[in-house]
Amino acid sequence: MNIELKKFGTALISRQAGREAFAAFQSSLKDIPEQEEIIADFDGVITFSPSWGDEFLTPLIQRYDGRFKLMHTHNPSVKATVEILEKSNSIKFNVV
Amino acid sequence: MESKLIPISEAAARLGLSIDTLRRWDESGKLRATRKSPGGTRYYSEKNLDIFLHELFKMAYEWATNSESTEIPSPFYSPDSSIFQARLIKMQNLLANMPSATNILSLLVAITGEIGNNSFDHNIGNWPDKAGIFYGYDANKGEIVLADRGLGILKTLQRVRPELNSHKDALRVAFTEMISGRAPEERGNGLKFVRKVITENPINLQFQSGDAELIISKESSDLDITKSKQSLRGCIALIKF
Repeated sequence: MNIELKKFGTALISRQAGREAFAAFQSSLKDIPEQEEIIADFDGVITFSPSWGDEFLTPLIQRYDGRFKLMHTHNPSVKATVEILEKSNSIKFNVV
Repeated sequence: MESKLIPISEAAARLGLSIDTLRRWDESGKLRATRKSPGGTRYYSEKNLDIFLHELFKMAYEWATNSESTEIPSPFYSPDSSIFQARLIKMQNLLANMPSATNILSLLVAITGEIGNNSFDHNIGNWPDKAGIFYGYDANKGEIVLADRGLGILKTLQRVRPELNSHKDALRVAFTEMISGRAPEERGNGLKFVRKVITENPINLQFQSGDAELIISKESSDLDITKSKQSLRGCIALIKF
């Protein structure tokens, strides 16, 4: 399953917006088959920040562990955010 | 050629201020009217209004350091985070059309968002007087200014680090240490992100809270924190690119 993050906006910035996005996405996660990978796709996102990411990406990796992956991107705000989230939460995202 | 004269009503509309505020500012000298008609109507030169609107840092600094909250032009006042978010997207769209900002566009918007949201996240329900933040930018000058009249870094950090007792130490912790404990409030690592981005890119930051001021620029490995001349309760940030 691909999560098209652009559907939540081009500027994914605040904690509040990240929490709302995560809550809204729960229904889509319900029916995922047990072995299926979940991939966050940043295509179309212009700005990504640690506050939003910590509310959306962090709970997904905590819940799905290795099944949750990030699609490779050249967006510098995504790269910088992922590095900070990995360091502050002692986690490692898989990138495909 | 002389600058066009604008009546006070139009000047107030352009600045998003009341006519009374402009009258007060004329009397106090903060923003002088250029001419008064015999009937008493004040006129402002368009050029002076432009200069005033571009002195963002001065305007924000006065607002943040004043003992009482004063009125600020409405285009620069974000009373809540949803208005701030909408204005961030507007800045994102504007910078997207500027070749000089292309490579760092997403980073500029992200660090501006982190600094502004930090103000909202840590002061919500606890603003000492005026809720909300000052947020303005001048894309041509390459300046982004944010300020708040909130509790400041030291007071909000003491909730999770009660042993902190100086603004200087609080600023150092906020910009360098990963705070893992979330209780009693959710605390992100936004300012660490801001520092990381700035040290890796052609961006400068001047940030003050309390009487501590720091400057970060590309490749600055140590935090340069100094005591500021004037103290302010909340925070002020100037991003240059």
